[in-house]
Amino acid sequence: MDAIERARFFREGACSAKARLASTGSAFRRSSTESFSYVLYSVLVLCIAVTPRVWGTEQASKRYDLSGHVVGTQPYPFDTVDPREERKERSPIEIPEQFADKLSALTELEKAFLQSPPARRFAGDLDSTLNTLKGKTAEEVKDWVQAMMLVIEAAAYKPDRDQANIPLNTDSPRFNAWRLRRPRSMDPPREAGPIPLGRYGGRGGPPTFGGYPLALTSEDLIAGEVDVAIVGAPLNMGSGWRDSGPAATTQMRLLGRPMGSADQYVQINASKVLNIVDYGDVAIDNASTERSMKHVRDVVREIAETGAVPVIIGGDHSLEYPNVAALADVYGKEKVSVIHFDSHYDAWWGRADLISHGAPVYRLILEGHVRAADYLQVGLRASGPDKSGFRWMREQGMRYHTMAEVERRGWSEVLDRVVAEASEEGRKLHISFDIDVVDPAFMVATGTPVSGGLTMRESIAIVRRLCAEANVVGFDLVELHPALDPTYATTLNSAFVVKACLTGLAMREKGLDAKHYLSPLSSEHALDDYYGDQREFLRATAAEEEKEAIRRDPPQE
Amino acid sequence: MKLRSCAAVFLRALPLALVVAAVSGVNADDDFPPKLAAQILELEPDAQLFIHSGGIFDYMPRRQLEHEADRRDPEGFARLVEEVLAVAAQMGYDARRDMGAIPLNLNSKRFNEHNVTTPKALRELEREPGPFSVHRYLFPTSGVPTFAGAPVAIWPEDLIAGKVDVAIVGIPNDMGSGRRNAEHGPRVMRALNTIGMPDTQSLVDPMQTLSVVDYGDFAVDNMSTERTIAHVELMVAETASTGAIPMLVGGDTSMLYPGVKGVARHHGEGEFGLLHISAHPDVDRHAVHSVSDEQVLFLLLDENVVRGEHTIQVGLRGPAVTKDSLAWLREKEVRYHTMAEIAEKGFAEVFKRVIKESQQGPQQLFLSVDVSVIEPSEMIGAGRLTSNGLRVAELSRAVRYLCAAQDIVGFEITDMAPMFDRSGLSTVNANALLNACLVGIAVRREGLGPEYVHPLAASHGRY
Repeated sequence: MDAIERARFFREGACSAKARLASTGSAFRRSSTESFSYVLYSVLVLCIAVTPRVWGTEQASKRYDLSGHVVGTQPYPFDTVDPREERKERSPIEIPEQFADKLSALTELEKAFLQSPPARRFAGDLDSTLNTLKGKTAEEVKDWVQAMMLVIEAAAYKPDRDQANIPLNTDSPRFNAWRLRRPRSMDPPREAGPIPLGRYGGRGGPPTFGGYPLALTSEDLIAGEVDVAIVGAPLNMGSGWRDSGPAATTQMRLLGRPMGSADQYVQINASKVLNIVDYGDVAIDNASTERSMKHVRDVVREIAETGAVPVIIGGDHSLEYPNVAALADVYGKEKVSVIHFDSHYDAWWGRADLISHGAPVYRLILEGHVRAADYLQVGLRASGPDKSGFRWMREQGMRYHTMAEVERRGWSEVLDRVVAEASEEGRKLHISFDIDVVDPAFMVATGTPVSGGLTMRESIAIVRRLCAEANVVGFDLVELHPALDPTYATTLNSAFVVKACLTGLAMREKGLDAKHYLSPLSSEHALDDYYGDQREFLRATAAEEEKEAIRRDPPQE
Repeated sequence: MKLRSCAAVFLRALPLALVVAAVSGVNADDDFPPKLAAQILELEPDAQLFIHSGGIFDYMPRRQLEHEADRRDPEGFARLVEEVLAVAAQMGYDARRDMGAIPLNLNSKRFNEHNVTTPKALRELEREPGPFSVHRYLFPTSGVPTFAGAPVAIWPEDLIAGKVDVAIVGIPNDMGSGRRNAEHGPRVMRALNTIGMPDTQSLVDPMQTLSVVDYGDFAVDNMSTERTIAHVELMVAETASTGAIPMLVGGDTSMLYPGVKGVARHHGEGEFGLLHISAHPDVDRHAVHSVSDEQVLFLLLDENVVRGEHTIQVGLRGPAVTKDSLAWLREKEVRYHTMAEIAEKGFAEVFKRVIKESQQGPQQLFLSVDVSVIEPSEMIGAGRLTSNGLRVAELSRAVRYLCAAQDIVGFEITDMAPMFDRSGLSTVNANALLNACLVGIAVRREGLGPEYVHPLAASHGRY
């Protein structure tokens, strides 16, 4: 098989692969005919293969513990068996004696298989199985059973037949080109700190998230005492619809100006309270989600290490995995809780790939970054998970708030419950906001929309409250697909969700973290006593004004 | 590459030279301006070598280096070169730092589930083999969409029983390096029922002449092109072995690799020519991933699936058309025709040359159209969009001609991403190109030449 041949070629060490190259004059040889450089090149490759030490690597491997990452050609270091799979299997059946002649052509193994749980997927329960048996001769039964066994065998991984991994061309001279950083000294020297790109008070330059200044390195974040770094992660691998990559982060910069505006509800302008920057985009290899994960994790970690809150604009929902793993790198394993807004629960497992936009929750738990009991799920309503998924969540202590709960209790009840749970014990919290949690009426430009979701009014309130009342250390907004968004409504609404969080973070900074704070001035005209609480509002407004006056003009001691 | 090195420098510069040798396509000469030459002399030997070898010019343009040498003091200049050198050293693979292979879940019971075909004994319906209609009516105008409104075939025995001439198949893979959404190409090309139209030139109706079927889609894993190719190759080979011509509808252009390889399994490697009509040469030789749209032609030529002198490319332009890629194509004796040649000579003239070249090669031809070749005003839905392309009118005429003149062993149209074209025009034109080849095959089957014009179509016959 040519594919396997090629795979073997890629798997082999540099030395033997190169030796074969030299003899066959085959793939990846440079077009150059200068024999001297080619000989030199071959010799050097051999030397390097013996001591694979290139400058810069020592620093890289010392700095971080790599055990949690997949490096080299090592298999994934965690047990990937999903206990839910086995539990889902239906019970075995026992075929009565009178059908013995129908089973007469079967071997013992085949007989056992036909009555075992895996066969139920094809043959159904006892009644259905017996029904089928009645219509078949013993020979036909044998064909039938063998076909089932064949499908199961063909679907599972088999050594020597299937590629155990997806080999990369490790001889590529530009193996890491996609993520190499531009050396600082290539540009004119400048002071570290956020860079305003425009000529007019920082405005009027190339578009940035919310019009915020640009930061390129962690030194910029530290020097600028940055509180929030908004970073794009143009991952383009989500299934359903694609092209949620560079288009999404670009559109959020072009049309996401509301991210930088004042908030009327709470009378706060986040950009005046917090130092917020656009941290550019993270490099992504869009031919492999898995390969992009470590670099996203590195960049998010780099932001969080400075104390800034990383706000990641996706990209597909696979990003939740590196985002939260990075926070666990900084704050400790099992020290961060996650609230997952999504119409899907994203704890699927058991496919051939180890990360996709359906699997980040399971992988985070599997690798021990987050305890399942520290996970909150809000807005679930897609066709899955089934009972086994919900049972698993309940057993794991994962608190889920489905749209079924909202239908039963009403949104305001669920809102209070969610915010209370998320704020427990002042635990550090990451918010992962898949825009498909919002109803497609507002967010139609997303990969896997599901009807019956949150309104924007509900979304803004819950995100603002969480960022104000809980100890939020990270936020991501994912699954925006601008190509499906000719009216810009989804991009605009996405920007308002991010703004709600920025506003909440600013409220917390100013000490406005009381339950469901809204400005007493903007939320009530207080010109009459219609609701019976006019005096309360007048008093609260006066108190705030007094505080403001003291802040503006501190009394002389 | 000039390497002025003594033994000591050589030893010191081992890792560097690796980078230089591997990365650099640039041949630097030592004719540097005096300021730069003087600055270089102050550098460490490995840094000197980095510049003299031309390796540094993969990271910054030469004019920039000269400018930096002018404006910086020796210390600042040395720091710049050192930093670039440090970055260059991280360019290659390191087993302790980098992922050398993408791991998979070997415990998955669904590892191959996407491409496991249903065994006979588990098929719910028993029926005699042969293509069957999905319609209730004899002359349907709507219903379940199929390519060309054709009957459906599912298994190779259907193709054999129906003596099928052309099997149109979707391959909805979507890992392309440009904008994505090619996975929806097959669906919308089915939905817009404009394939199987009679030919205005010969008045041949391909659906009367040929037995055409919709052969469904071939399964893909849209998380990995690598995991997709083996299955597609087998399925294409199986299709070709029934005697039907596979007409493949992408999906991105990476599927040209298993498409051509599958056909070669049946017809033999090097036995047929390949005409790749595309804006992109697709000959990336240093890619990190083992297969992608950027490297299909490199893979096919490198593995000798098709021979360079039997390979023709038309419409080249855009970011991958570089001195390096064209020189490599020339070395491989590929007959390439860039948009520069077409602008200079006119399409008609260049097309004559293409016809001649295809006549010099084998009679059997695999024809591939990456829709990016077309002018974006007529194909805004192309995945790897590139301005200043060919017109659909001239291209579909050319496709029709070649499909009538040569013995077509396979046809593939790739990388139409309908999401980017709300007007649907891209789909109309993609269908027109597929139809052009279908018509060409029918004309040939009728024993008519590619230039034959039916008298009724040629003129109304009155003065």
